[in-house]
Amino acid sequence: MRKFLETIGRGAGRVVGVLYQAGRDSVDQAIKNIIPFMAFIAFIIGIINGTGVGPAIANALRPLAGNVIGMIVLSLIVGLPVLSPLLGPGAVIAQIIGTLLGTTFFATRTLPASMALPALFAINPQVGCDFIPVGLALGEAEPYTVEVGVPAVLFSRMVTGPLAVILAWLASFGLS
Amino acid sequence: MIAFAEWFIGLFQQGAQVFVGLLTGIIPLVIVLMTAVNALIALIGQERVDKLGEFAARPGWIYTPLRYIVLPFVAVFFLTNPMAYTMGRFLPERLKPAFYDAAVSYVHPPLGIFPHINPGELFVWLGIAQGVQAGYGDSTMINLAVRYLLIGLVVIFIRGIVTERITAYMWNPAEAEAESDHYASAY
Repeated sequence: MRKFLETIGRGAGRVVGVLYQAGRDSVDQAIKNIIPFMAFIAFIIGIINGTGVGPAIANALRPLAGNVIGMIVLSLIVGLPVLSPLLGPGAVIAQIIGTLLGTTFFATRTLPASMALPALFAINPQVGCDFIPVGLALGEAEPYTVEVGVPAVLFSRMVTGPLAVILAWLASFGLS
Repeated sequence: MIAFAEWFIGLFQQGAQVFVGLLTGIIPLVIVLMTAVNALIALIGQERVDKLGEFAARPGWIYTPLRYIVLPFVAVFFLTNPMAYTMGRFLPERLKPAFYDAAVSYVHPPLGIFPHINPGELFVWLGIAQGVQAGYGDSTMINLAVRYLLIGLVVIFIRGIVTERITAYMWNPAEAEAESDHYASAY
């Protein structure tokens, strides 16, 4: 009987501990990573809405983000092996362009909702391109693997970046 | 003068409204969701995830979906960015770049449903999504989230295969051997 109680007690203790730690981790993440970026984004959106420059930004972005062909070109540019490692860090560029598109094109219904899916891929063909050596090192890769892997991933993105936009566009039909 | 001051403070009032909207609309959901998933991950444990890594390392075409769809998904879900890339250690050297490519490309597509994967880069998804939510409503945004997650899997599969091919093309077995000997003898 005592053993039974002990098992139950320990089990419950472990689960409560895990849940408590999980809660603490998520609140930490929210305060350290999510809320600061929200403040930054809120500031940008506030400026766009307050000054009324939204339509001007929309016009500037329209050639590259207002239609599928433009998005493919955008993904090609952002996926260039010279640019992609520079645009990668913290995904800041993708997050800002995404917010601009969201505020000027989709919140105002200038573009149909279905275009949001290819847009999500068009702003992000450079994902992780700044991090290849570190990412490979985390996978315990040899120096030669890094030497070959960096250009391999960068070149691959030139093909798969635009391809992802096309696939997403094909999959976006009926999204509303 | 006063009109200018009003306009100036109005800019930030707009921003503040957006900020409160994000705080009350998204933060509570994300925190509760992340707590649940973090607890699940802690209870399941890393050993079981490691087993899948060993399994996915087997050679052969049949295992490519395992290597470039299932393994990246499980890695980012359980280990999150950036620890997910440590799963590459189970794979042979010449497949590591392809796995990294697939895994790193999947840290954003699931964010609409599993924000715990990459909370620091939430706005890659949310920037566009909150616009869609404002213009077209909640159900359209959720529809978009599900499609982003699913198409992401197709995209990382293609990325894995393309990068695997390119790596194989550039790979020089003699050089790889020489380097690994060089580093082995250095110890």
